[in-house]
Amino acid sequence: MIDAAVTYTLLFVSLYFEIFLLVAFLQRAFLSNTNISTAVSKYPKVAIIVPCYNEESGISATIASLLALQYPKDAFEVIVVDDGSKDRTFEIAKQFEADSRVHVFHKENGGKHSAMNLGLSKTNAELIGCLDADSIVEPEALLSIVSIFQNEKVAAVTPGIHVKETGNLLQHMQKVEYRLSIFNRFMLAALGSAFITPGPFSIFRASIVRELGGWRYGHSTEDMEMALRMQDAGFLIANAPKAIVHTGTPKTIRKLFHQRVRWTYGWLRNAVDYRHMIGNRNYGNLGIIILPSALISIGAALFFFFKIILEFAVLAQHEFLKIQVTGTVPHPMFSFFYFNTSMMSILVWVAVGLILLLVALGSLIGTGKRTLPIGTPLFVLFYSFLVPLWLGTAVVRAAFKTGVRWR
Amino acid sequence: MDPVVNTRTARWSSYLVAFLITALIFATALYVSNYFNEQRVADIQATENDVSAQILSTETQFDLLQEHPCSDVSETDLAPSEMTSLGSELDYLEAQGGNQAEIARLKSTYSLLEIKDYLAMRQLATKCSLKPVFILYFYSNKGDCPQCEAQGDVLTAFSQEYPMLRVYSFDYNLQVGALQTLISIDHVDNNLPALVINGKTYYGFQSMQAIQKILPQLKTLQTASSTASSTAK
Repeated sequence: MIDAAVTYTLLFVSLYFEIFLLVAFLQRAFLSNTNISTAVSKYPKVAIIVPCYNEESGISATIASLLALQYPKDAFEVIVVDDGSKDRTFEIAKQFEADSRVHVFHKENGGKHSAMNLGLSKTNAELIGCLDADSIVEPEALLSIVSIFQNEKVAAVTPGIHVKETGNLLQHMQKVEYRLSIFNRFMLAALGSAFITPGPFSIFRASIVRELGGWRYGHSTEDMEMALRMQDAGFLIANAPKAIVHTGTPKTIRKLFHQRVRWTYGWLRNAVDYRHMIGNRNYGNLGIIILPSALISIGAALFFFFKIILEFAVLAQHEFLKIQVTGTVPHPMFSFFYFNTSMMSILVWVAVGLILLLVALGSLIGTGKRTLPIGTPLFVLFYSFLVPLWLGTAVVRAAFKTGVRWR
Repeated sequence: MDPVVNTRTARWSSYLVAFLITALIFATALYVSNYFNEQRVADIQATENDVSAQILSTETQFDLLQEHPCSDVSETDLAPSEMTSLGSELDYLEAQGGNQAEIARLKSTYSLLEIKDYLAMRQLATKCSLKPVFILYFYSNKGDCPQCEAQGDVLTAFSQEYPMLRVYSFDYNLQVGALQTLISIDHVDNNLPALVINGKTYYGFQSMQAIQKILPQLKTLQTASSTASSTAK
């Protein structure tokens, strides 16, 4: 009875959140009058900081893509901060200093936030950005973002992040996840509730970053900590899905697991640090629904994972017992009579359908096409079984404050 | 899509509309689930009607044979009806939940049909000197019979292997007058699982080997594989 009550409550909350985003999207599409001119009337000075640690394989492409951005040369600079790399990153980056827009600095390893702060101290640009050294940007990306800063209330703008390479099945699954993230990031910004300014090409108003005291360690997720601090201070974080950036994704489950444990750990520890915002009406949608849902979703994912595992174990035990007592393997038989049409299974199908719809909307927002990525079936079948693994690990580690490393 | 610069002020209409839609989805899921369950109940009722007609046919056959020899009746005429699959379907429906009163009514009818079938078959077998094999199986699904599930698996496997074997399964706790009379006639105690074979009651889990030992005549029954191969020929 308690199990059923918890199950249906979590299902209701999960479905409610998906539908809430969908309703907000439709209201925005049909009712909103916030059309903004994307034409840039003036070109503020922009500095993009590239913090890097052992990135010799990708740094050239990253800098080259920045130099290819459509933006006035005299209003743009690239600040590469080598955070104590042990490979040839610094040497390779130095070669780009032939271009007057590129400045390369070296420092002892101190973490991404310290590299960002060094970059901040080396520029007087009005807008300051970050680009992880495993990412490349589309030439029009910066113009799409700069136009939004014409609104003085905007402190930061996040881009539309796409998967750079889909070399294996795991990356195909991540591509689907990133499409879903495009929708979520877009809608969270629409609701004034973005609480992450991702490393790949988020741009900030430098004066506000300085006013807030620069970047902090933020439990290895300085991009989340900075966004929460901006929200706490009442600033707006916008999203420009047409500002396209392609970012590298983990190729192995081990690396993906490590990355996601870090992200989830960072979110949980930052949630503790900024707990005064959770459920607080003063922070609008962010406090009322977005932050609580982000926390509940972790609990729901773990609950459903363990429930499925438990039910599977009971079923397997029954089948094993059946084989043991009868000495025969039961013949699989299909009959529509036994097709599961319980309320629970219908709701699960609805939830899966809604996720596919949100992925399609993410594709529409990010690429202009409604088609689902080819990895979608794999994503639906397998990814939901991978996610609880890092969620569970991160929850335990966050509870014991073990800390997480970047690599 | 336009870039986003809305304020973060909550628009309560979004919250309300989302709540109403979610509630509507839940209500629809409940309705659809109930609809399919009612369809299952209707299926079972139809099957019970079929079985009832079959029993009536057997009883009529028996009445006719009172005045005529049994030369036209053989063991193959005593093949179990749709009773076995009906039992499985009722078990599934019961496990799924749903309208328990309706399910209890279907189970009562099912038990009555089983008893009538059992009596009719026994009379027919006696009259015509046939040797069908019967097993009466008493179980409980109140959670007080940990071995009932395994016993059910063994009997299901037997039914599949020997299509001519007639297994009648009864929920010991079902309050049906005829069933309680059967329990009292066969002196079945509430010590489940219990099997009544050839008039003798066996308590506790009976393995396949144990049942084969109790029922050596099982070997004389046609197996599913031999039936299939003879049909193929």
